[in-house]
Amino acid sequence: MNKVFLIAKREVMERFSNRSFKWLMILGPLLILGLVYLFLSTTTSSKKNWKVLIMDQNEIFDGKLTASKPQNLSFDFINAFVEYDDFANNEKYKDYDLAVQINEKIVSNKHVIISYKEHPPENIQRHLVYFVERRLEEIMVEQFTDLSVDKFREIKQSLQFNLKDANDPRNEKSTTASWVGFGFGILIILFVFMFGMTILRSVAREKANRIVEVLLSSVKARQLLTGKVLGIGFSALIQFTAWVTIIGVGLYIFRLTLFPDMFSAGFVADEVLNSTMGDGLANQSPFVELIYSQIHYTNMLIFFTLFFIGGYLFYGSFFAMIGASMGSESDGQQFVIPITLLLFLAVLSGYYTVYYPGTTLSAWIGFIPFTSPMVMMVELSNGFEDGSAWKLFLSLAILFIAAFFMMMIAGRIYKNGILRFNHRLKLKMLLKWTKK
Amino acid sequence: MITVENISKYYNRQTILYDISFSLKKGEILGLLGPNGAGKTTLMRIINQIIPADKGHVTYDGKLIQEKHLLEIGYLPEERGLYQSMTVEKHIIYLGRLRGMSPVDAKQQLDYWLDKFNIQAWRKKRIEELSKGMAQKIQFICTVLHAPSVLILDEPFSGFDPINIELIRQELLEFKKKGHSIIISTHNMNSVEEICDRAILINEGQKLLEGTIHDLREQNKEGLYKISFIGNMIAFANALWAGYEIVDKEIHSNDSFTIYLKMRKENEINDLLNAVIGQVKITGVETVLPSMEKVFVKTINAQKELISE
Repeated sequence: MNKVFLIAKREVMERFSNRSFKWLMILGPLLILGLVYLFLSTTTSSKKNWKVLIMDQNEIFDGKLTASKPQNLSFDFINAFVEYDDFANNEKYKDYDLAVQINEKIVSNKHVIISYKEHPPENIQRHLVYFVERRLEEIMVEQFTDLSVDKFREIKQSLQFNLKDANDPRNEKSTTASWVGFGFGILIILFVFMFGMTILRSVAREKANRIVEVLLSSVKARQLLTGKVLGIGFSALIQFTAWVTIIGVGLYIFRLTLFPDMFSAGFVADEVLNSTMGDGLANQSPFVELIYSQIHYTNMLIFFTLFFIGGYLFYGSFFAMIGASMGSESDGQQFVIPITLLLFLAVLSGYYTVYYPGTTLSAWIGFIPFTSPMVMMVELSNGFEDGSAWKLFLSLAILFIAAFFMMMIAGRIYKNGILRFNHRLKLKMLLKWTKK
Repeated sequence: MITVENISKYYNRQTILYDISFSLKKGEILGLLGPNGAGKTTLMRIINQIIPADKGHVTYDGKLIQEKHLLEIGYLPEERGLYQSMTVEKHIIYLGRLRGMSPVDAKQQLDYWLDKFNIQAWRKKRIEELSKGMAQKIQFICTVLHAPSVLILDEPFSGFDPINIELIRQELLEFKKKGHSIIISTHNMNSVEEICDRAILINEGQKLLEGTIHDLREQNKEGLYKISFIGNMIAFANALWAGYEIVDKEIHSNDSFTIYLKMRKENEINDLLNAVIGQVKITGVETVLPSMEKVFVKTINAQKELISE
């Protein structure tokens, strides 16, 4: 075990003495942050004015919402309830972007549904919520209490707002959350490929410069391979931790500088009153909300780490096999192509799962170790229904069992192939080496 | 110390080694000779437990060789490499630790060897900055750092200049003096004659010869004698007449010669001396033993002829 530790430690030290590894540790997450920023900017709506239809069937709001005319928002009242489908498709409502349902139960159930055709930015949502809430406070105070509005505000229950897509009110077509899982899955595949190639290069280099024979006179082939895989895997985890930390800090800084008002209740009122700020904030992306408040980071990170470890060990064993068995460096390159294609297939599987979750195929590819790290990340971001979390654990178990099995085979191939030089690598040869 | 018993190794229905047996005694230097592809490296790998034998076994001090015994062995393969990006110091300590040394011991031994080879200045250099000869020295230090009882060296002199060959040779003799045993595989026959006590010759996986260097040369002598004299060459040749065959001669000056000759009929050295003693002044007579190189070539060729027949 001590020897495995020594080998692993050397691998970690080598990675850290490598400039590209250190640069990747900084530039990789910065690049992702840049992409996130670009994504947030480019997916931003350019809409300046949001037209809202207030469906006040019982005329509770009495055709009034706010005394001052707010920037970016304009309201029209209708004393009827318009179905989602009607609102989405009827020519009559084509000018409206949002609809707010105010029904007679609002006083008791405190529930307001806002339907949209285009997802409104966070600040537009907040303004709308603010106006509805304030107007309702006025009504409640006027009709039911002797308290002042300020006093009532202190004791009142908050309204619950529910945002629904008018085209998909049951939220059947939403893939937003899936894309987050897809992003995590891509990160797994990216790390598996990067560090799988590191295993291959490291094994091939030791083989090419013949240090491996010196090492094998002191340690067993299996110990050497285990130490190498663990060392490189540990380096990958350190790299990943650095990415998470830098991206986390970056997102926090984004929040402080670009979206400072997101969760500050007091700020909303100030913002609404001080309409000069409205212009800049109108361009916030709806994905901001997703990134800052919808992702369950703890869960995602725990399972990301587990699926990454499983995927790394599983795919890493293939890379180790190629590195150990290749006769020359160029010879081995051709065997990298099928693995790269398998990783690409995993990405496609994730893409498939985003669009076709719940199909038989997506269920199967969630259990196949070649694709499960990617697919399960997408599934996880969608959330598992009660009682179906076993799928996640079963997939994880299959992945780890398969990884263990593949490592055993990789160990055999490594032992048999590492001291063979200048041969032409054939699949038949690999199969033969797995048996001994 | 090490006994190799009936080792055979096959690969792709080809016999790489067939029924090889020999033993290495304490304080002995054993030469493992053979042409390229004879199976020497495979045999060394089997002794070092890098690859398994298909038949036979290796024992260390009478016990079947195990992983713990490998800590007592220092192995220098023929095609040896080093991690190019590591410093000399870190590299040597790393390999020392893999051979079971504590960090303190490894560092102490590192200092000892760097001082001994007068290369303390290389300590912080990266391996990629070293010349081939310098790297060879580092590889040698890595092999002996843990003071192994047995050294197994595959072509230890390759890549060294004559000065460094002598340096390594002296180190090996010092190891031997301390009671360590050494197996050397080399094509450098001068070194074999100079430092090996015994040698075994293998070809095409089979052991062809085994014995002390002197015995091997003695067994392969061709009845050649060397006689040196001062006097007239024609008188010397006339005195020999038909009883001897002159094979070669060295002319040192007008009246000083060394002649290589073979006896004809039943003649012996005494007969030769009786024939020439009145004609010239003899300064030396000796039996010429073949060099190990000649023994090597002769034995290999004889085996080839046998196979072709």
